[in-house]
Formats: sequence, C-alpha cells, structure tokens
Amino acid sequence: MNARLARAASSLAVIAVLLAAWELAVGYGLLKAYQFPPPSKIARGFVELSLTGFPTGVSLWTHTGVTIWRVLQGYVAAILLAVPLGLLIGALPVLDKLSAPLIVFCRSVATLSLLPLVIVWFGAGELTKVVLIGYGCFWTMLSNVIAGVRYVDPVLVRAARSCGLQGPELYREIVLPAALPRIFAGARMALGVGFMVIVGAEMIGTIQGLGALIMEARTFYRSEITIVGMLVIGLLGFLISSGLAGLERVLMPWAGNLDQVRR
Amino acid sequence: MSCAGDISMREPDATPQAGRRTRAPFIRIEAVHKAFAARQGGELMVLDSIDLDIAENEFVSLIGRSGCGKTTLLNIIAGLDAATSGRIAIGERPVTGPGQGQGVVFQQHALFPWLTALGNVSFGFRKAGLPLEERRERSLELLRLVGLEAAANKYPREMSGGMQQRVSIARALALDPQILLMDEPFGALDELTRIELQQELLRIWQARRKTVVFVTHSIDEALMLSDRIVLLAPNPGRIQRIFEVPMPRPRSRTEPAFNALYDEIWSELSS
Ligand SMILES: Nc1ncnc2c1ncn2[C@@H]1O[C@H](COP(=O)(O)OP(=O)(O)OP(=O)(O)O)[C@@H](O)[C@H]1O
Ligand SMILES: [Mg+2]
Repeated sequence: MNARLARAASSLAVIAVLLAAWELAVGYGLLKAYQFPPPSKIARGFVELSLTGFPTGVSLWTHTGVTIWRVLQGYVAAILLAVPLGLLIGALPVLDKLSAPLIVFCRSVATLSLLPLVIVWFGAGELTKVVLIGYGCFWTMLSNVIAGVRYVDPVLVRAARSCGLQGPELYREIVLPAALPRIFAGARMALGVGFMVIVGAEMIGTIQGLGALIMEARTFYRSEITIVGMLVIGLLGFLISSGLAGLERVLMPWAGNLDQVRR
Repeated sequence: MSCAGDISMREPDATPQAGRRTRAPFIRIEAVHKAFAARQGGELMVLDSIDLDIAENEFVSLIGRSGCGKTTLLNIIAGLDAATSGRIAIGERPVTGPGQGQGVVFQQHALFPWLTALGNVSFGFRKAGLPLEERRERSLELLRLVGLEAAANKYPREMSGGMQQRVSIARALALDPQILLMDEPFGALDELTRIELQQELLRIWQARRKTVVFVTHSIDEALMLSDRIVLLAPNPGRIQRIFEVPMPRPRSRTEPAFNALYDEIWSELSS
C-alpha cells in the first residue's frame, strides 16, 4: 500500500515538474503561446468552457454528454451486431474463409474516408455520426470475436471431447468461455476506435460534442480549448476502459490480471 | 494411502502376463501409420506400422525419445486423432472417436481455466447423470485422493504445474474410464508426490480393473508400474522392442531383477 502511494506521488511529481517547465518555457518566450498554450491558459479555458461554454451557451458538460451519447449508440449497436455474427462466423470455418477478405478490407478502410458517402446516404444529422462510429467499432469487434472462437487452445477442445462433449454443447461450454477474454479485449479496442472516430464524425453539421468543440476552437485559433477537448476525450476513454477492465475482473476472475498481459 | 493391502489382494489372481496370453486382446492396434502434412509440402511420417495388442486390465508403458510419437499414438487410441492408415479397435469396435471408454490425462494439463479445481474434476462427471450434490461429493473425494482438497476453489492459473497435473488426473478418474491413457502424468511432480501417486494409481488400477496405457520418460517409473514396457524408436516412430516385467507387485527398486531389467532397457534405449 505504501509502495503504491509512493509510486503515485512520484508520477504526480514528474507531471508537476513537466507542467511547470512548460509554463516557464512559454513565459520566457521559448515556446509560442498560440502553438503551445501554457497550463495556466488551458486552466482558464477549462473554466470558461465549464461556466460560459464555447461557443457561448454550450458548456463542456453538454459537449461531453452529447459525445458520450453518440459513441454509446454507435458502440452498443456495433457490439450487438458483431457478437452474434462473429460467433456464427467463428463456428463455421467455411463462413470464416469466405468472409475473411471482406472483413480485413472493411476494417482497413479508414472510417472517416466514408464520411462523404455516409452523408449522401443518411444526411448530415445524428444518424450519420452514429453510423460512422458504429462502422469503426463493428469491424474491430467482429474480427476479435471471430479470432476468439477460432483460436481456442486445441488442447482444451481435446480435453472436452475426451470428456464426451461435441457439437453445439462443446461450442457453448468450451469455445465460448475460452473466447471470452479475447472478446472482451475486442470490446475495449472497439471502444478506443469509437473515440478515435468521434472527432471526425462530429466535424460537420453540429456545434455540440467534443469533436465539434475541437473543430470550432480551431476556427478561432483557440488552441487551449482544443487541448481541453482532447484531454476530456482522453480522460473519457481512460475511465470507460478502466470500467470495462473492472467488469472483466468481476466476470472473469479466472483470467487473471489481463491488464498486465495486454499493455 | 493404503496401497500395499490392495496389491496383495491381487496375488491369488493369475499374473497379468499370463492373462494377456490367454485372453483376446482388448485394444488392438494393427499396422497403424500416422503422417502429418509437413510445412514444406510432402508428409512427415510420425508412426510407422505400429502393431500392438493390449489385454484387458493390462498396464502398458510407452517409453522412447522425445518426438518419437508417444503422444501421437495415445491420441489415436483416444480417438482424438485418426490414423493415416491401419486399424485400431477397442473390444471388437473400431475406434471412431472419443467416448469408447477412453479417459485421457494430457501431457499439457489442459484444464479449463474458467473452472476451479473442483469444477474441472466435476466436469469429468458431466455425462454420468449424477445429481449435483453427489457430483460435488465425488469430485472432492478425487481431489482428496490427489492431495488437493485444500485447493478445491483455486483456478488453474493460481495453481503450480504439479497441482494442475494432479487436477487433470482427478478429472480423468472422474470419467471412470475402462481405459486410462496417461501422457507423462507424473512428469511435473516432486519425487515424494510422484511415488505416492504411482502407488495410488496401482491401487485404482487393481481395484477398478482398468487398462492403462502410460507414457513416461522414466525407466524406473515404467518398471515400478507396468506389465509390459513398449520402447519406441524415433524417425519414424516404430516399436523397437517390448519388455515384459515379470516381477510381482509391490516391486522394490533394490531387487536384482529390477536392476537387471533397468540396465537392459537403458542399453536398448541408448543404442
Ligand atoms: N499436429 C502436428 N503437425 C505436425 N507434426 C506433428 C504434429 N503433432 C506432432 N507432430 C510431430 O510428430 C512427432 C511426434 O510427436 P509426439 O508429440 O507424438 O512426440 P512424443 O513422443 O509425445 O514426444 P515428447 O516425449 O516430447 O512428448 C514430432 O516429430 C512432432 O514434431
Ligand atoms: Mg508427448
């Protein structure tokens, strides 16, 4: 416990020193304030954003709430589609072979390059943003679910067969739980993708959302506002990811500390 | 562990060797070949014309250098892999898959990571149609047998290699198979636990009248346990020689017969 406190304190100290150095560098003219707004300016930007809002009337909390809601809709829709489809494809090697090139292709298409097309299909409203986020999350999730069920340790399958399991029972009782860690990893990766896509997805047709905030700040050369937006997105990703990691530990106590393995 | 008593109970019986000669073979392995597709195209011959008959209740050990095909042969008997050619039958039935009375202890422990030790053992009872409470009772009993009662609620990742190995032995015993196929089951154990489990295995083998095919790298272990020792030669795997082990059980490592046989196997193995 003491060691952990000490570690936390020392990393906080490192951050504090870096911030102070940054502030001083701008103060002495080594860095330009409009390129590298100093921490004090970012802090003022944060206060302005939370009280007055930017653009005026749209507070940081509204931006954040709108973004979370959009990511959540796209993300949940993607997961709800990708999990059953992935379980089906993974169960049937023929389907896996047939679909693999398509999946690799779609996953590789940069989501934002679809923006013009998606606008033509769905207009510039909410749906377009949710669809883009969903697209990004979907392929990441799908390939992870398929990989999870396809690459179950063959020794486990043998052990189950020698205990008399086969067919759907084998799939349900062995393949599914064995694939769970990979499926959860996919869910976390997909969430990351969702937050990566959000800035681009909110570029058009809205002044609400963290992505819109960042674009709007750019127009007015308010770098400190951009940085606040960036920080909030990063923080959100971090919080939700930790939440999912916690959920993993509760749901799969047997899988050990996946965090340490994955990072 | 009370092995000595049970072993002496067996004495009035005919010795297993004599039994094997008069009884029809139980596991019949005839001209079995196994080839794997090699990565550079072509085939890798792993087993070459294996002929072996194993009698009911016989205890047969397989020894041979690493990579000579012991695991492959065991998998074929288990019905988990198909032979490339040849015939293999249990009783009169050709082996077409698992579930013909084979229980397997795998070389890699192969425990289900999402089940506790108790859950893994209890998995072996799945097909037995027992009420849940009885499954639990019997699983605990088997854990006790392998000395792991206290670890019942541990997950595989929380157990040492030797503990995992013992759980996988308990799981195979839970199936109560006619045929126990064991792939280096005591490999990761300390000397004392190994000897205890060897004696326990002998006790179970005699009390429950099982047929055992046992892979080991230890000549000593093979001599302590087996009726016959099959020595496999590598590249491709084939039977080099079969040794009968005539000493009555319980056996002692200090007997002259034991040591003579040990030397004979050793020189054959290293030739
Ligand atoms: N699935 C496979 N594909 C290709 N080659 C294989 C496969 N399984 C085993 N082999 C090869 O077959 C040979 C025999 O393997 P096997 O596992 O039966 O050996 P073993 O006698 O059990 O060895 P060990 O004592 O090290 O466990 C090895 O040369 C191995 O490389
Ligand atoms: Mg082996």
